[in-house]
Amino acid sequence: MSQKTLEINVGRQEMGADGLPVPSPIAPFDIPEPDIGTEHMLINIGPQHPATHGVLRLVCELDGETVKKVVPHIGYLHSSFEKLGEYRTWNQIVPLTDRMDYLAPLIYNCAYVMSVEKLMGIEVTERCKVVRVILMELDRIFGHLLWLGTTAIDVGAFTPFLYSFQERERIYKMHESLTGARITTSATRVGGMMADLPEGWIDQLKHFLDTFPDTLAEVHHLLTGNLIHIGRTQGIGAISAADAINYGFTGPNLRASGVDYDLRKDRPYYDYETYDFEVPVGEHGDCYDRYLCRMEEMKQSVSLLRQAIDRLPGGPINVEDPNISLPSKTDAMSDMESMIHHFKLITDGIPAPEGDCYLGIEASKGELGMYLVAEEGSTKPIRWRVRPPSFVNLSVIPKLAEGHLVSDLIMINASLDIVLGEIDR
Amino acid sequence: MTEEKKSGLDAIDEGPTASDAATPTGGGTAGDPADHASVQGLMAQFSDAVMRHRVNAGDQHVVWIDAARSHEMLTWLRDDPDQLYDMMSDVTGLDYGGGRPVEVVYQMYSTTHKHILRLRCELPLDALEIDSVCDLWKSANWLEREVYDLFGVTFKGHPDLRRILMPDDYAEGHPLRKDFPLRGRFSRAEQTRRALNQEVERYYLAEDLDTGLVPQEAPTAEVRRAEDAGGDL
Amino acid sequence: MGLKDVLPGSGPSATSGGIFGAGSPTFLTSKVDWIINWGRRNSLWPMPFGTACCAIEMMASAASNYDLARFGMERMSFSPRQADVLICAGRVPYKLAPVLRRIWDQMPQPKWCISMGACASSGGVFDVYSMVQGIDTIIPVDVYIPGCPPRPEGLIYGLMMIQEKIRQESLTKHFEHRAEDPALVALPRASDLEVVGLTGPFGNSTQQEQLTGGVAVRAESPSDDLLS
Repeated sequence: MSQKTLEINVGRQEMGADGLPVPSPIAPFDIPEPDIGTEHMLINIGPQHPATHGVLRLVCELDGETVKKVVPHIGYLHSSFEKLGEYRTWNQIVPLTDRMDYLAPLIYNCAYVMSVEKLMGIEVTERCKVVRVILMELDRIFGHLLWLGTTAIDVGAFTPFLYSFQERERIYKMHESLTGARITTSATRVGGMMADLPEGWIDQLKHFLDTFPDTLAEVHHLLTGNLIHIGRTQGIGAISAADAINYGFTGPNLRASGVDYDLRKDRPYYDYETYDFEVPVGEHGDCYDRYLCRMEEMKQSVSLLRQAIDRLPGGPINVEDPNISLPSKTDAMSDMESMIHHFKLITDGIPAPEGDCYLGIEASKGELGMYLVAEEGSTKPIRWRVRPPSFVNLSVIPKLAEGHLVSDLIMINASLDIVLGEIDR
Repeated sequence: MTEEKKSGLDAIDEGPTASDAATPTGGGTAGDPADHASVQGLMAQFSDAVMRHRVNAGDQHVVWIDAARSHEMLTWLRDDPDQLYDMMSDVTGLDYGGGRPVEVVYQMYSTTHKHILRLRCELPLDALEIDSVCDLWKSANWLEREVYDLFGVTFKGHPDLRRILMPDDYAEGHPLRKDFPLRGRFSRAEQTRRALNQEVERYYLAEDLDTGLVPQEAPTAEVRRAEDAGGDL
Repeated sequence: MGLKDVLPGSGPSATSGGIFGAGSPTFLTSKVDWIINWGRRNSLWPMPFGTACCAIEMMASAASNYDLARFGMERMSFSPRQADVLICAGRVPYKLAPVLRRIWDQMPQPKWCISMGACASSGGVFDVYSMVQGIDTIIPVDVYIPGCPPRPEGLIYGLMMIQEKIRQESLTKHFEHRAEDPALVALPRASDLEVVGLTGPFGNSTQQEQLTGGVAVRAESPSDDLLS
């Protein structure tokens, strides 16, 4: 077996007459490694496991505790959303989108209808744009809070889990007052939203924004300078910028490696270029930098939300085109034409032009792309493809975890912020 | 698409229908290649391999290319200093049904020049093969595995082409094809029985390990294939 | 001579009487039952088999606002060997089915199962090729919680129903309720006909015992028409 040299310094070095240190009687010396036969172990983590963040199966080959190779197996939550989408009209797909990334459902709702609207060439109202920005940023905080709680609990810190879930409860209440559901919001429709913001919702949001930064500061205090947390995250799972781009990393994972690519800045949508916010970019690409990127992103989202609230215009929330948006109930019940439009929209759907459209937006986990293919006049997509950020992010795990310990593998998995619902679709 | 239906609900039940367009254009407008530097470059460099160019959804440039030369063209798109598409955002498949070719769609982005491009390659139904781009972009690894799993397209040169979302021994076919029914080809009872007969340890293939040491004596891939071919499927 | 022989109402000692005397539950057995059931229902250790959105609601139930700890359930046991109640929260595809079955088999008696959410109870929105149409085709379920996802209050209500079920248990009937045939490990719980019945339209409805017309249990699936 290999020889290892172990240096032990006991006490202070004594200096001899010739000016050189007197060699201590027990250091340095060679410890030969004992000649025991070792094998690599095959360990299976998951699919049912508290630390895999979903039904993910990691088959690891271990040399002691060091990971020699890890092979992720997915597909344990494959619900064929894309095939289901081919059987649903454009608006009927919206409830499906919540169930993919259930940690930040409003982002998926918005991304999907944005892609449909781009395909059909529909321009939504100004109010709708700002409301969607508000909802997307709110759910960015929502998704990052869950990442924070579960990552902390993976390294043994239970308190941030409870704190983040308490903050999430407040966002759940806001989801509920807007849409009636806590998680599966289905808040958007093609051409607008399911409903306008209820009275007092903005005040609820402002109250949340006033008190949330204090909780964030508390968690910062608990984790950011914490030597245990630093020891668990610094230097773990580092990836270079060029590798990160080639592997298709997007989102905070990519930015932690030093690549300044944020779709809100580089391919802006909904006037993001007019908002004043910064995009945190890391340096080393390790777990600690990813942690810092996401914490800072939450702070930036708070600032974005305040700006969006300030510029929220009045006016209609839905496009005033009866071929796209449902007429109001009072109109549909009183006016024959509205009733016919309502009927056609619900039973047939909105006909689309021929073509395809890929729209990528900055979801909380990375670049979320919605690719839609339609034929002339079709009310259902021919193909609905979701480009999930976590799918491509997870494929890098074999490279990131090689050479690290098993507990570091868990930390790397947590820092990638994956959600199996969107990976497996 | 404009046939008379008994009721709107039937339209939902019937699911996706085959295209009845004789020569589909691919939508959008004809578009001017000069608007997009890469399209111009592609047409100049590989004029015979570029079949069609459209601009869809207002400003998205889509180019249909010859599948046989896709690897060459994608290498050029990645390496040429004016193109530098260093990020392969998405690789996906597309099946229109009704005998039309299956397409493989590439969605690319350049972080330096900040432009996006969509490339589509048509594959005839009897030759669903295309060169893999795993050697160019590592992100294509899992994305191509998914296209193989759900559409049945073989990627030549892929280091590890096996099913990713469905179980390895899934026998009902390739789910996202239009001729695959929504509820699968087997009855629910058969699907349940097959599901519970899966051996969860069958994923421990010797090929997954570098060392060749197989502590749990997992069978190699050849043994598995022999089992699958000779034994009961 | 095992416990089976000394308990009244079971085994050959049904009429001959055992330690507690012959016949139906006595005062002593009902007190013993009461204590055992009280202990069991107030310290259920859930095995959270969370897959999708319902798992997030389960986590929210365990967090401070809805607090499962007041029911004695804060110790989420991730090892099935130490768990009492399996909460299957979320959709279960066929690829995950053997894992679920194995985890259920690994749980020691007494064990209960909660099917949380529409997807676990009946397949939910996902009547597709890859989704198990209700985990009751694979494992026996005690309580179904509808919802997509059910609110934490719904999950808590379901857990309280399990507690109610436990309250009515009796040691005298223990072996009838809890009998497990080792030969049935890793096999589907429902027979082919039952699977067909459970996975058809309205298959889980308590009003309907048979599908109209019946669907043959053959290897090929029926046509894609919803209402065949």
